[in-house]
Amino acid sequence: MRLITTWGAAPEFNMGLDEALLLSPDAPPTLRLYSWSPDTLSLGYFQRFDSVPGAEQAGAIVRRITGGGAIHHVNELTFSLTAPLSYHLYRCPLPRSYERVHASITRALQHFGIAAAPAANQPLASDRADTGMCFHHSTPADLAWNGRKGVGSAQRRTGGRVLHHGSIKLGSSMLEGDIACLPLDGGEQDLARVLLKCFSADWDEEFVPGEPSESELARVELLGPRYTSTEFLHRR
Amino acid sequence: MVPEDRKYAASHEWIKMDGDTALIGISAFAVTELSNGNEGDMVYCDLPEVGRVLATGETFGEIESVKAVGDLNAPVGGEVLEVNTSIEDHLEILCDDPWKAGWLIRIKPETTDWGHLLDAEAYEGTLAEQA
Repeated sequence: MRLITTWGAAPEFNMGLDEALLLSPDAPPTLRLYSWSPDTLSLGYFQRFDSVPGAEQAGAIVRRITGGGAIHHVNELTFSLTAPLSYHLYRCPLPRSYERVHASITRALQHFGIAAAPAANQPLASDRADTGMCFHHSTPADLAWNGRKGVGSAQRRTGGRVLHHGSIKLGSSMLEGDIACLPLDGGEQDLARVLLKCFSADWDEEFVPGEPSESELARVELLGPRYTSTEFLHRR
Repeated sequence: MVPEDRKYAASHEWIKMDGDTALIGISAFAVTELSNGNEGDMVYCDLPEVGRVLATGETFGEIESVKAVGDLNAPVGGEVLEVNTSIEDHLEILCDDPWKAGWLIRIKPETTDWGHLLDAEAYEGTLAEQA
């Protein structure tokens, strides 16, 4: 599997590349590990703009093509996993595909002394009404520790391919208070190294560092600007 | 058992003649995948405007659950004659009755040659592979 790491990338690039990888039928299965600059709030695909009262406090705003609530991408490791439905990780019922990814994340968190577990159907201390934030709304597959949500995921499925988005929180923010975090001196790259080892061992997968192809980058140029456009941000 | 009175796309949409028009919906398998049997997991469904002309395989809408956003694809092309607007406000209909009351759009099909689609037995075979 190809591995693309991009630290401190622009929001248009991050979202444009994930969509390019989803829409390119010939793109190899790809894991992206990334972070954002500036700090960016991403709305869920169907989320109403005005359902996130604090959105304007973020350095930038985008709308994802995956669903769920808004995420403030700061103090976190973001990842995306793009592959055809025939890829072994996705040859299973949809909920199981979450379990597989989250099982590996749980093992990575254990490395740092964190005992994470699926939220199941228990209400969490991080649940909040009316903030519109993903980490203030828990669903059974989410990973939680200390009674709070610390990992959120969402999938987009189109054209026989899957884009799996995930965020693992290293710290809270003014928009995401009182959530579970994994504070690390080495930041997201420390977590990335351990996460990669867990993914590799659990999925029997070799990750080959790579870069987006020229055609993928050309697609990013076309797709990226939409994510911060007023029309797309206010589509709902 | 999936109904034998209609055809299926591998992407889990079904199409069924209803008089001289055709109804399109999604299978119980697709609904269960999205909702995990929990009506509250279905979040949103975006359906097309009446009058839109769809090509075979074209995405005509999108559906979101707490687990995933997925495309709704036309198994057969044609003009959209009617949209089941009650679905947009009551996604539980899809969970309760995906085969009948949960139809999504009615089209005037551009062809009644649906040889590219799966019959019930073949579709069930694809489900077995995904279980």
